[in-house]
Amino acid sequence: MRVPISWLREFVALPNDAQAIADRLAMLGFPVAAIEKRPTIAGVVTGRIATIEKHPNADRLLVAHVDVARDAPLTIATAATNVAAGQTIAVATVGATLPDLTIEARTMRGVASHGMMISAEELALPAEWFEDGIMQLEPTIAPGLDVVELFGLASDVLDVEITANRPDAMSVLGLARELAASYRVALKLPPFVNPGEAREPAGMEPKVTIESPDCSRFIAQRFDGVRVGPAPTWMRVRLALAGQRPINNLVDVSNYVMLETGQPLHFYDANAIAGMHLIVRGAREGEKLVTIDGVERTLGTSALVIADDERTLGLAGLMGGAASEVRPATTAIVLEAANFNGARVRRMSAALGLRSEASARHEKSLAPALTDLGAGRAAQLMRDLGATAYRAHAFGADVVPAQPIILPAADIERLLGLTLPPDRIAAHLRALGCEIVPSQPGTFSVTPPAWRRDLTIEADLVEEVARIEGYERIAAVVPSVPAHEISSAAFERENQIAHALASLGYREVITHSLRGSADAAAIEVRNPLSEDHRFLRDSLVPGLIEYLASTGTPARVFELGEVFAHERELVAEQTALAFGFSAQRTGEPPWRDSSFLRLKGDCEALMREITGRDAVTSPGTQPAFHPGKTGLVTLGGTEIGVIGCVDPRLTKALDLEGNAYLCVVNVGALPVYQTPQYRPPSRFPSTYRDLALVVETGVCAREIESAVAAALGALCTGVAVFDEYRGPQVGEGRKSLAVRVTLQRFDATITDDEADAAIARVLDAVHERFGATIRT
Amino acid sequence: MTDLAENLRELQQRFADAADDVRDEQALENVRIAYLGRNGEVTKVRRTIGTLPPRERPEAGKAINDAVAAMEARLEEVRARLESRSFESELAASIDVTFPAIPPGAGSIHPVRRIIAESCAYFARHGFAVVVGPEAEPDYYTFDALNIPSDHPARESFDSFWLTDTVLLRPHTSPMQIRTMQQHSPPIAIVAPGKCFRRDAVDARHLFQFHQVEGLLVAEGIHFGHLKGMLTELCRELFGGGQSVRFRPSYFPFTEPSAEVDTTCPKCRGKAPACNMCGGSGWIELGGAGMVHPNVLREVGYDPERYSGWAFGFGVERLGLARYEVDDVRRFVNSDLDFLQQLA
Repeated sequence: MRVPISWLREFVALPNDAQAIADRLAMLGFPVAAIEKRPTIAGVVTGRIATIEKHPNADRLLVAHVDVARDAPLTIATAATNVAAGQTIAVATVGATLPDLTIEARTMRGVASHGMMISAEELALPAEWFEDGIMQLEPTIAPGLDVVELFGLASDVLDVEITANRPDAMSVLGLARELAASYRVALKLPPFVNPGEAREPAGMEPKVTIESPDCSRFIAQRFDGVRVGPAPTWMRVRLALAGQRPINNLVDVSNYVMLETGQPLHFYDANAIAGMHLIVRGAREGEKLVTIDGVERTLGTSALVIADDERTLGLAGLMGGAASEVRPATTAIVLEAANFNGARVRRMSAALGLRSEASARHEKSLAPALTDLGAGRAAQLMRDLGATAYRAHAFGADVVPAQPIILPAADIERLLGLTLPPDRIAAHLRALGCEIVPSQPGTFSVTPPAWRRDLTIEADLVEEVARIEGYERIAAVVPSVPAHEISSAAFERENQIAHALASLGYREVITHSLRGSADAAAIEVRNPLSEDHRFLRDSLVPGLIEYLASTGTPARVFELGEVFAHERELVAEQTALAFGFSAQRTGEPPWRDSSFLRLKGDCEALMREITGRDAVTSPGTQPAFHPGKTGLVTLGGTEIGVIGCVDPRLTKALDLEGNAYLCVVNVGALPVYQTPQYRPPSRFPSTYRDLALVVETGVCAREIESAVAAALGALCTGVAVFDEYRGPQVGEGRKSLAVRVTLQRFDATITDDEADAAIARVLDAVHERFGATIRT
Repeated sequence: MTDLAENLRELQQRFADAADDVRDEQALENVRIAYLGRNGEVTKVRRTIGTLPPRERPEAGKAINDAVAAMEARLEEVRARLESRSFESELAASIDVTFPAIPPGAGSIHPVRRIIAESCAYFARHGFAVVVGPEAEPDYYTFDALNIPSDHPARESFDSFWLTDTVLLRPHTSPMQIRTMQQHSPPIAIVAPGKCFRRDAVDARHLFQFHQVEGLLVAEGIHFGHLKGMLTELCRELFGGGQSVRFRPSYFPFTEPSAEVDTTCPKCRGKAPACNMCGGSGWIELGGAGMVHPNVLREVGYDPERYSGWAFGFGVERLGLARYEVDDVRRFVNSDLDFLQQLA
């Protein structure tokens, strides 16, 4: 909310420094997003045009004599076209400073000109919000007054952020009240007594029927003798400084009162209300209304409307209707100052996609007492405009004082850690408008002020005391945390995985959880920000491949994050891990892929580190992976993930040059860490034999290893395939596997004869099982 | 005797010549084998002892043994000489130590994880557990249980991505407060880091996918001063001593009193009016905090008159911007390789 400091000063004495005021507001809970500095303007005074005539030497210029309450009128030449004798205007006198120029005496086509009549723009006001040409002031304004002072043009404007719980502070008065409490100075609050006393002529008394529970109070007041025209300059300038465009005197009064008191108002053309009867009711489904912005809106039942005996007049607390709008010819109006249910206004506003300054306040649930204040203030301003104010009629519930809140004084210390004398606590609350009556010893009975609907429980009052005392007065103390039983295991495991992969040379990346495309099972966001982020990822793979494609050079990366899928209409979520790298295609034969083996090595090292167990990879397939270069990874018989070369078609589609190798793990399926058991090595030396076994290509290395180990039993302390050969020497459909077998006894040195006999058993076994022969 | 002595002398002479010619360890070993090996020259001479008269044999044996000792000593001398010569040439080498390093195939954790880990480590040292939870949350945990009923205006400030009528991507980590308190009895001391989502248009300061760290301490006797203490120390931990922390009143439905927490701009330390990190205010926003609202405590079955507590939540990327002086928050989610390398 934009708040001119000069407006605040009407209600509270403030320091000169705008920054100091902004800091104070921030420490009260109203941060100031910006301080809009006003430019220096000096030497501009009010003037009255005494005479005006054509310039003797120029068709397009006029020469005026302007009374600025000096010894003699100023002679001023002007090119303006909206000037006439008798007008009251603003004059920049010789020596005046304007934002972009300094005024000097000069001769215009032979006529000495001693000043300049100025427009709103030259006063640093938005030109398009004011009349074209020279700014017109009221004839009641005396000549010779300082314009900057008269209209508060020098005062900076604060852009204040107001939290959703404080609609009372969405007003100049509300913020002035906060500052007065904080600075401990008086709030200069005029009584805002409604001047309307007269009884309306017969048949002109407004009646209101409240049919909806979502309107708690409705003040209706009639004004006659209304003449629509521009609002007084002081009001137009103040509205403009507050960022509100001046429209005409009636609209401006309602906006002015809303900005000043926080109570939104609506003015109806009295002649447009059938039967002088307003009805507050829920809209009927499909009901239509043209609002003052000229848009025909089809209403749903969420809407709350104001209607008369014949038609719908407006949207309650949101926007009026075109048909009952104030027009240039309007001579009588009915004012509405009403209190609506915030949630209802918000639902209506959301359903219609329409918001207004009024709804922004109503939807936060205003205090009903504000209606009387707003109507009273508006009636004063209408009277000042020369209108006849009739009686205000209140409908709905009376304004009742809030329930007192019992506040134990000890709660201040218990919740804030701050010791305050009871007097001080009471003084803070009183400064905010609370009434305090003696209660039991050590407790206060606190009645919140009528405008504060947000104060309902003790904790609310504790915050008020802390705000006014100042949060900075609460001492910072590091607590000693009591023992508890909550486990950090899941977080620690994820961190452990990340660190292990980092030490294996992988870099962690974070990619988007929301993606543009996905398969049919993916979960769709109902209200995506864009098509590029419509689906929740069901796999980390596409994001990582895109990342690898984007790096340009081969890279090793991992991501640890949530993936999502539908599960019986529900959203299923699991923590996934994917790691891998991009690699250029090599000249390796189709049956060998060392990139895969490198990734597998990293997978085994990671699993050993995280679970203390050995990962086993078996042939398998997986969508998005290469059909012949993919394995399923198990730990202790539990499948935990997949490893392989990404399907080259997918890699290509995602613009990655070369191949991608990824291992994808379901983190939730990883077993708990199993502590390895130490086995002392044999004291006796070992021996080894290297075998070259020729088998069919379908026989896996791990099958051979298992068979060899099984054949040797306890004698075997190691068996590992370390090379593979295919080619003419072993023939089509066959391959030679080089296997190193390590033999050792725990009770004696193994002899050559023993070893040879054992190897013979091995050869028999693999021959029988796989038809393996020794390569010759 | 004379023949043997003569043979021995001649043998020693040949040995000496051969040993002198040796240029490396292998050649030396070859010489050793040729003369002192199992079938070497000395063995051949030793075999002739049997042909001597018995009384001459001891003397001959002694002469051979003396010769062997001398030869071994000589071998050792040569070995030492070779070794020192080889060190000489090795020590004569000289490299340019300023030459660019060969980088290891280094990995790294993401800066977001690093900030989370460091923050959480601080809390863990003080006895807090670190818990993680789902990103797709029912609105009950996200809003209702946190004192934000469906018609509450504060729901607007959490502009969320909805997946079903009741499930959304969590716009904050605060659901973990409810989940933890419903699973455990007080005392509760947790931090809960995690990814969050809000429908914010992406720009240099905003992401629709970001991380928060939530904190919650509930026990008897916990007050606002404790909140100030922990968060002040945290900022000093992350940004160094001398860091100030400022608490400003604010509004969150699930805390009362509530606060916005700012910390000294680590870039300008409040001294640069044109600082692009803090906009010249001297402060950067850390996040929201406050005393847990009594309605939240009641919702999880805790007695608000007996237990009190505080909670906070701060944005990890926002902290990262300040910590690493990153110009654009999008870099955290683009994670380009250069960014990761620089912040590793």
